[in-house]
Amino acid sequence: MSNVVNVGVVAYDPKVVTIWEGIKEYFEANGVPMDFVLFSNYDAQVDALLKGWIDIAWNTNLAYVKVHRRTDGKCGVLAMRDTDVGFTSKIVAGAGTGVENLGGLKGKRVAFGSRDSGQARILPAYFLKRNGIDPARDITAIHFDLDVGKHGDTGTSEVEVLNSVMKGEAQAGAIGDQYWARALSENLVDSGKVRAIWTSPGYCHCNFTVREKAGEQRFARWTDTLLAMDYNKPSDRKIMDMEGLKRWVRPELDGYRALFEAVDEFQFFGA
Amino acid sequence: MSSNFSVHSIDARDLSATDGLLLLVTRSLDKLKAGEILEILSDNPATEHDLTAWSRLTANRWIGTTTSNGRKSHRIEKGSALRVLTDRELDWGNRAPIVNGRFDTRDWLLGHAARIRETAIPSDGFAPRGAVVETGSSDFPFDTLDRNQAWSENAAEFYDQATTGHWDGSRDIPWAELVPLDAELERAVCQLMTFLAENEFSALYVPAKWIARIHPHFAETVLFLSTQVRDEARHIEVFVKRALANGGGLQFSSASTQTSLKTLLDQEDFLQASFLLSVLGEGTFLDLLRYIETHAPEPATREIARRTRIDETRHVHFALDHIRSALRVDGSLKTKLQRAIAERASVLSGIKGLNPLVEESLVILAAGGLSPDRLPAGTKARAELYDTMHENRVRRLVAIGFREREAEELSTLHTPNFM
Repeated sequence: MSNVVNVGVVAYDPKVVTIWEGIKEYFEANGVPMDFVLFSNYDAQVDALLKGWIDIAWNTNLAYVKVHRRTDGKCGVLAMRDTDVGFTSKIVAGAGTGVENLGGLKGKRVAFGSRDSGQARILPAYFLKRNGIDPARDITAIHFDLDVGKHGDTGTSEVEVLNSVMKGEAQAGAIGDQYWARALSENLVDSGKVRAIWTSPGYCHCNFTVREKAGEQRFARWTDTLLAMDYNKPSDRKIMDMEGLKRWVRPELDGYRALFEAVDEFQFFGA
Repeated sequence: MSSNFSVHSIDARDLSATDGLLLLVTRSLDKLKAGEILEILSDNPATEHDLTAWSRLTANRWIGTTTSNGRKSHRIEKGSALRVLTDRELDWGNRAPIVNGRFDTRDWLLGHAARIRETAIPSDGFAPRGAVVETGSSDFPFDTLDRNQAWSENAAEFYDQATTGHWDGSRDIPWAELVPLDAELERAVCQLMTFLAENEFSALYVPAKWIARIHPHFAETVLFLSTQVRDEARHIEVFVKRALANGGGLQFSSASTQTSLKTLLDQEDFLQASFLLSVLGEGTFLDLLRYIETHAPEPATREIARRTRIDETRHVHFALDHIRSALRVDGSLKTKLQRAIAERASVLSGIKGLNPLVEESLVILAAGGLSPDRLPAGTKARAELYDTMHENRVRRLVAIGFREREAEELSTLHTPNFM
């Protein structure tokens, strides 16, 4: 068996190739040969990981939960981005709607992202329910099922959620804080028209998943090399800016608890 | 841990994220060190939702929100990711000596801008000298990087002189005073103007080529060369206009002139190019322009020759000054310059003299036409011009640092094309 570490990556955007060519070059420069394998969707990537066609999968939280289920919790996790920790979902509301808090959502039209988006659909629905708003009964949910299979990576459904609130088609909407921060920084949103009214508890987003716990040891060198990437080094910075992080960190598995409960509650993977 | 640091506080009132809150927070964090804490007092209820998201993505740590006196107090701990990759401090607090309302360019040597490197750094690129350049900036392909090639102590002063001396070729020449001339005389003027214009094209393209190759670290030189390019553009303009203005027209351009000028553009070393073009070529042109001014048959031609000569004098002085100081630092450059003249002479060995049409025009100009009684005086004037040109070339070569005998020899090797 060759010693090249194969990492599965979902190609949600052409830039994924640029990012991973950069990461591959970085690993090779550090004497840890790796390659990446592109998938068009997370289900295919999860299957490939379980069949042993790839060593590591760069998974969304939902894909990780799926691997966890299918391996009866025997899978391992190597690392994640600093931005994958403390991820939150936001409820944003139109300025003239009178929606000031979660209670105000009752009877309103609320927009959600793709059905497989952790941040814009599954977790917001789960947290709303925990806060006494049943998405199936208490509100009129509008769903933007775009780029299904990519687990919300493309962000297109979140763009639609925000647009629908800005246009008044929905009184409120659920989006991830990453897109919200971008919308604010890049002035994609008029804060006179739409504002955030609620922040979910923090949860974790993507991680590098391996089939077995033992993989954490087996790929320790790969993980250490990844963690050594330095945002204050120009060549590393380019890759990290594109991938949206300042630092790679060790996994914080507690951050997946909410999603485990959510997929059970909504029977996401079937009963 | 972080509580050891003092807390810096800002009052954001009811600013919202897109109305300036993020900018205010960003600039406030810029003043802090990693680990220090910024408190943001705010009356906008969306702030805690917006700043949590923003802090996480900018790698600053969100600490939390408390309420005091009915106001929200949000706290962020500054992260360690550098916004701009550099460890150099910015200059701050310098003041330029402004005298009688003037800020002379030579006085901008302040702080880091005053530090002239022996070798410019390719990745400093287009950043003005003295700016803090982020690590990881791309290398630029400038190939003239050495101080001794590209830096000139007095370039800033010549640049200011040039800026003050700019004139307008459409209005500053007394075009209205042109009068019909004897046809032979007009033809001679037109031939000289054609010749001057083609020479000035080379004097425009040569510095333009070097602007693209000299590192912007040596900004004064580049700025001066840009005025030279501008001057030559104006010269081309007025020479061509004069040829077209008075019922004549543009005349012949000879193959030998073109060949001679092309060798200037072919030079691949800035000092050599500057030496051949400005010291020898433009230097020789000063005498030519004075000759034309003296013998001009009408005020427009006289004023053209006078104004262009003043500009050319500046180019010659810049080059003399630049080369003289380069030679002081590195004596071996003298041999390089000698070789440059000799090599050019050997390339041009097939050219035995000036374009005869130009030579004849010089005689006709001084004679005021083809009248037999005036021609001997014209012939004599032209011969004296050649002697003057040679003497002045020798004088300039000596001024740079060549010995008299070397200078004599080098001057005779100079192209018969003048430039």
